[in-house]
Amino acid sequence: MVTLGIPSKGRLMDATAELFAKAGHAITRSSTERGYRGTLHNLAGIEVAFLSASEIASNLKSGKIDLGVTGEDLLRETIAPTDGTVEVLARFGFGPANVVVAVPQCWLDVATMADLDDVAEQFYRSNGQRIRVATKYRNLTRRFFADKGVAGYRIVESAGATEGAPAAGTAELIVDITTTGTTLAANQLKVLDDGLVLESTAVLAGRTDTKANPSVMHLVQALQKTL
Amino acid sequence: MAGRSSSEREALARQNAAIMAVFERAGFDHIAPDIIQPADIFLERSGEDIRARTFVFNDPDGNELCLRPDLTVPACRYHLSHAKNPASEARYCYLGHAFRFPGERLSPQEFTQAGLEWFGGSDPIAEEARILKLATSALDVAGLTQYAVKIGDLGLFGSLLDDMSMPERWRRRLRHQFWRPQAFHDLLTTFSNPNTKRRTGISAHVDLLDNHAPLAAAEAALRQNNLTLVGNRTLDDIAARLAEKFADRSEAPLSADMVATIDHYLSIKGKLSETAAQLRALSATPNFTTAVDVFEARIAALEDQGLNPRRFHFDANFGRDLEYYTGFVFQIEANAGNHMVSLAGGGRYDDLLSDLGAPMRVPAVGCAIHAERVKAVLAW
Repeated sequence: MVTLGIPSKGRLMDATAELFAKAGHAITRSSTERGYRGTLHNLAGIEVAFLSASEIASNLKSGKIDLGVTGEDLLRETIAPTDGTVEVLARFGFGPANVVVAVPQCWLDVATMADLDDVAEQFYRSNGQRIRVATKYRNLTRRFFADKGVAGYRIVESAGATEGAPAAGTAELIVDITTTGTTLAANQLKVLDDGLVLESTAVLAGRTDTKANPSVMHLVQALQKTL
Repeated sequence: MAGRSSSEREALARQNAAIMAVFERAGFDHIAPDIIQPADIFLERSGEDIRARTFVFNDPDGNELCLRPDLTVPACRYHLSHAKNPASEARYCYLGHAFRFPGERLSPQEFTQAGLEWFGGSDPIAEEARILKLATSALDVAGLTQYAVKIGDLGLFGSLLDDMSMPERWRRRLRHQFWRPQAFHDLLTTFSNPNTKRRTGISAHVDLLDNHAPLAAAEAALRQNNLTLVGNRTLDDIAARLAEKFADRSEAPLSADMVATIDHYLSIKGKLSETAAQLRALSATPNFTTAVDVFEARIAALEDQGLNPRRFHFDANFGRDLEYYTGFVFQIEANAGNHMVSLAGGGRYDDLLSDLGAPMRVPAVGCAIHAERVKAVLAW
């Protein structure tokens, strides 16, 4: 039996339910177990587990579930692309959002990651402290900054309202997810020219060792036809 | 394996005791720096990359602490808290655990470092040779006979740049990016080829400096767009950097000769004793010549210590990934099956003690041996 993790509530849950129904495999919550388990219409061999959105990627990584619907941002934050144990099987296209590097608009002299690296070095020289990046995407940030050759910074963990950190003075810049950019603009932040960390949408991800499972292959094909 | 058996523990302890006896006999004071360290010192010094490999946690008051990822910084802190005068000469040795999230092969989460630190010395070249000699002596008593020694010298690159005519900020940028070969190469291309300058989101602000003073232009831009100054940089900082960008537009690019000299320097590698002549032939400018003199004097000092520089390997690129070193660097490697592993490394880091709070620059040279790796290689 293969276990598929699905967000237990919210917009992602609703869009996922709609997509699965269109593909002919509507999700039904079981009346027992307080609705935390479910089944797919007309597809034996896959059991549904309703989980909080933040748990799905980590449960995929640990192998507690074999398949999961989650945002690519959370997936890649939890599991490095080079890890190899989990793959994206289908991109749903809904919930599109970008994870970006954004700096204060008043930094008239900063437009690229190279500018940022230069400023980070000057910042350290004049303040004796590393420039701070507020984010909930610790791993995505580290990977992206390393890739761009930016080293002299510190991450400040941010659970919510990350975009307010520069104005509040708790960080100098942020790495955050944005859909329209309105929130960034309202906080007088701008995205760097080459500051796109990840284009994220909702995805169906699966552990590499289950993608050859006939039920999984059937589900992926059925979903892909509707996309 | 969840721990060592009594015989494994005894074998490692015996090896390490033999290593420490070499260090103590040489007159190094055997200290025990703290295992738990303030995280800031490591993080501010190295940035986020070391933090990704460091065990960081909070105390009940919310202060960030860490398990030491190496023993050099803890030894420096020991020195700063014990020495009346931080610049006074002190020689320390230590044996203790360091903790890092695993990355490389044969790199467990906790491992033992046996090391040396020599602070405040007055004869840098002789001290560097002595440290390398003690590191090889320690491996000898551990029973290791086959190993390779890699040598680098970051002073050579610094002086090569110092002798080239270019804006000071370009030199600073090149020196800063030296640690990241790809970014360094990109920067060199930009500075040597004015046609590759592309427009970015800041170009429009730089354009304005044609007829405006930088600070006035920056102030006007903020006012026009109703922008508040946030992000802990002053408007002076921002304006000054715009002015630099403006000045860059009219700077003469680096000549093809300079670029060729830098590229040629970075390609020099070979037997230590033979590379001195290549360095001598590369450039005869004053600072670089002095640096080559030091390089040659060091080779002689290594011979004085009974070491054989013909067996050592020099690589101009070596040391590029070790950010806090300032001059001489070395690494001792051995074969573990089908790949080489680093058993010991060290070098000069004259900026570290002042970074950590010493009121003056204190010369420092040291090394650390990865004890478990030595044991593992001996078992092959």
